[in-house]
Amino acid sequence: MTLKTVGKSIIRVDAYSKVTGKALYPQDIYLDDMLYAKTLRSKVPHANIKIDTREAERQEGVVRIFTHKDVPLNEHGVVLKDHNVFAADKVRQIGAPIAFVVGESEEACINGMNKIKVEYEELPGVFDPLEAMKEGSPKVHGQSNIIYHYKLRCGDIEEGFKNCVAIAENTYTTHMQDHAFLQPEAGISYMEEDGTLVVAVATQYPHYDREEIARTLKLEEEKVKVINTNVGGAFGAREDITIQIHLALAALTLNRPVKVVFGREESFQAHSKRHPMVMKYKTGADKDGYLQAMEAEIVGDSGAYCSWAMNVLRKAGVHATGPYHIPNVKVDSYAVYTNNPFTGAMRGFGATQIPNAAEQQMDILAEKLGISPFEIRQKNIFKTGSKTATGQVLLESVPLDRCLEELVKRYDEFLKLKNVVDETIEEGVL
Amino acid sequence: MMEIQLIINDINYKVDIDVNMRLIDLLRDKLGLTGTKEGCGEGECGACTIIMDGESVNSCLVMAFQANGSNIITIEGLENNGELDPIQRAYMEEGSVQCGFCIPGLIISTKALLDKHPNPTREEIREGMSGNLCRCTGYNKAIDAAQKAIEYLKEGQNDFKNSW
Repeated sequence: MTLKTVGKSIIRVDAYSKVTGKALYPQDIYLDDMLYAKTLRSKVPHANIKIDTREAERQEGVVRIFTHKDVPLNEHGVVLKDHNVFAADKVRQIGAPIAFVVGESEEACINGMNKIKVEYEELPGVFDPLEAMKEGSPKVHGQSNIIYHYKLRCGDIEEGFKNCVAIAENTYTTHMQDHAFLQPEAGISYMEEDGTLVVAVATQYPHYDREEIARTLKLEEEKVKVINTNVGGAFGAREDITIQIHLALAALTLNRPVKVVFGREESFQAHSKRHPMVMKYKTGADKDGYLQAMEAEIVGDSGAYCSWAMNVLRKAGVHATGPYHIPNVKVDSYAVYTNNPFTGAMRGFGATQIPNAAEQQMDILAEKLGISPFEIRQKNIFKTGSKTATGQVLLESVPLDRCLEELVKRYDEFLKLKNVVDETIEEGVL
Repeated sequence: MMEIQLIINDINYKVDIDVNMRLIDLLRDKLGLTGTKEGCGEGECGACTIIMDGESVNSCLVMAFQANGSNIITIEGLENNGELDPIQRAYMEEGSVQCGFCIPGLIISTKALLDKHPNPTREEIREGMSGNLCRCTGYNKAIDAAQKAIEYLKEGQNDFKNSW
């Protein structure tokens, strides 16, 4: 079979517009008679708030200040509707949006924003997900901070550990991470002549955005159009709503185009992060180096909002064994609210954190058994026909053993190089 | 308000500016040259890189009045009558472009380097691009593109017609 495209180098369709600077991102769109907007955000992680916008509204050039009072249905979110369009009486994280100041210029918006009075009555916050799971901890939403608990049970770990001569047991933690896509959030909204509300943004989910705009503003979906411009990187951080509803509300109310552009700092404050995880692991191998049992408890810090917490922690749980066959497995993974910045989708979606734990467990077991890190992996790695702890039989495309073989070859070369470098450092040359 | 004169992409401009206006705001907001991007506003990311009197600079760190009398090249100035600059062509062919937001800055940095040093080593190219951040593709493909552009420039190939 001759393939027309596969195997050939094709120039991507948008490359020309991007190498010439013609590609439009939302900040590149300027419309006649447009207004600008700035978002006032919470400066504290947990507080009851009272907002007074009266003085701010009187500032020259300020056209309108939107708050929770202007939103027909003040809730949104990709899974749970636990985000507010604007914080109403409570803020749950630093950076939560409180008001949207629309003005004739960016300076006017900033002046207006500085005149908004927010009275914070600070509440005890919770910043450690393990603390947040305890009964007496401050609650972020409702009665419990535990959003989700995923259970994976396969075989009998007690029996499995009985057959082990080597056991690795440790707790691993990973940190929060920002996507830091290069194009900060920006968007522009306007009304078309027939009354259609248009929001042009760089988004991963124009269809979700449209649904959320229509739902929160009580519009028919047919009256809302979301235009996805060029997207300057996303990596998961453009899955949740940031500016979409604010922009829609402003253009709908004022019947003029409204533009908002974030700086880098506001971008960091406004969108999700990668879930930090606490991963408590115990893994055992028998005298021949075959894995017999694994027990893991994984806690993901969801921050102040759910976003994709259950999907991410489910994925972490499903992948908890790493790419290894283990007959007896018990995994509990949890997603937990805290008053930290909210976390959500980011490249890998919960699978990225796991190797930090699972792979270190393999190295510790290899050391205890007196075998090489390669040998323990070669013995236990998934091959075609392997059954995962979730019961999936891998029928095709599992070339991990080949990957390991290649690594073994290159590892020896790496060691030689490493020895040279180490010696050089010892000699004080570097 | 003050009036400045400058040349941008071979065109003479006489413009009124606010004294607190940055060069990037003059280019984007006032002159509609939106190919120059703002990624951080503090000289870290290089998305706003332009060439000013032969030197690559972050246009977010230059005040507009400082550009009075200068000669500036932005990404819009590279394409000539539908003919791409060899650097632009190389970036397309090497698959160096994904989201594209860093690309104008990277291409301008590449041009600033090659204008001064037509035959840099790979290490020198890395150094020349070290002021530009990319979050999608990484840097190897951009460096590959620079090396390919060097070849095109040597061969005098400049006939990549715009067929897009």
